[in-house]
Amino acid sequence: MAENTAENHQKSSKITLRPIQLSDIDDFMVWATDDRVSQYCIWDTYTSKDQALDFIKNNAMPHPWFRVICVENRAVGSISVSPNSGNDSCRGELGYVLAYEHWGKGIATKAVKMVVSSIFREWPHLERLEAYVDANNKGSQRVLEKAGFIREAVLRKHRIIKGKSRDMVVFSIISSDQHLDS
Amino acid sequence: MDSSRISLRPFELSDADDFLTWARDDKVTRYLRWETITSKEEALMHIQQVAIPHPWRRSICLDDRSVGYISVRPESGNDRHRAHIGYAIGSDHWGLGIVTVAMKMAIPSVFEKFPFIVRLEALVEEENVGSQRVLEKVGFVKEGFLRKYGFNKGEIRDMLIYSFLRTDKIA
Repeated sequence: MAENTAENHQKSSKITLRPIQLSDIDDFMVWATDDRVSQYCIWDTYTSKDQALDFIKNNAMPHPWFRVICVENRAVGSISVSPNSGNDSCRGELGYVLAYEHWGKGIATKAVKMVVSSIFREWPHLERLEAYVDANNKGSQRVLEKAGFIREAVLRKHRIIKGKSRDMVVFSIISSDQHLDS
Repeated sequence: MDSSRISLRPFELSDADDFLTWARDDKVTRYLRWETITSKEEALMHIQQVAIPHPWRRSICLDDRSVGYISVRPESGNDRHRAHIGYAIGSDHWGLGIVTVAMKMAIPSVFEKFPFIVRLEALVEEENVGSQRVLEKVGFVKEGFLRKYGFNKGEIRDMLIYSFLRTDKIA
């Protein structure tokens, strides 16, 4: 699959994924306190460092699969895969967020592709990686399309975001899709 | 089919024999998450422990005898505006439009009972054409095809997803 032009022309900005550390707190605050970033997210814009520390310690760090997206080893966003239980354990939900200043450079797409290339091996029971995106969030829909996800449906009033029910587009990539892609 | 013969009501222990008649049939439970019921004892237990305490489960009755069920389960927490709907009917009564009538009765009743529900959704397997027809006749919207969505009876299945919103009109 062809890389997009922005990525080709990007100087050696190395994108890596790694577990979050408490020392990432200031970088975390950059995107977590930004309304433009939280607009389509389930969470509300963070308003204090304590709130952010609480999230990092009690949510992000113990999370089954949570990574910060780093450019030159500085955190500029995060990406996670949340597993389901029981009859739904073959499915995991992908989520990601990126600081506004780094939008439009192909970083999220790169991070998603990195997750896709490793998660099915790390979690052999996983068959389906899915993502739910607000129908108005065209940028994020493009990320998933470029990363090879299939757009399956628009689920009407599927999620409540910022107090209102939203139509969500569901995208998925199946473990067997990958073999078509390398 | 004279639709005045069709009614919905909560299950009662006295439905056990009728319940067993359709719940013991593999053809009926094939696409359901639960296994066939094989004895009157199991039937009584299922009615007492599952059907009666359920947030919203009704027996589909023909001449006041149970021939099937409709079940609605709201999601929890932040997603409680959304509910899953499921149903089944004895194979003797397939193709008569009974479930369609019963669903048209159930939906307004569910929206009234749960004022926070905005979306009903149903997941159906591709080969279960009978069930897809029910949803379409009631006025559900087919939204898409979810690949390898969940396990049922030991296999990972693709599912069609349909929804009916509080603002939609019964067909």
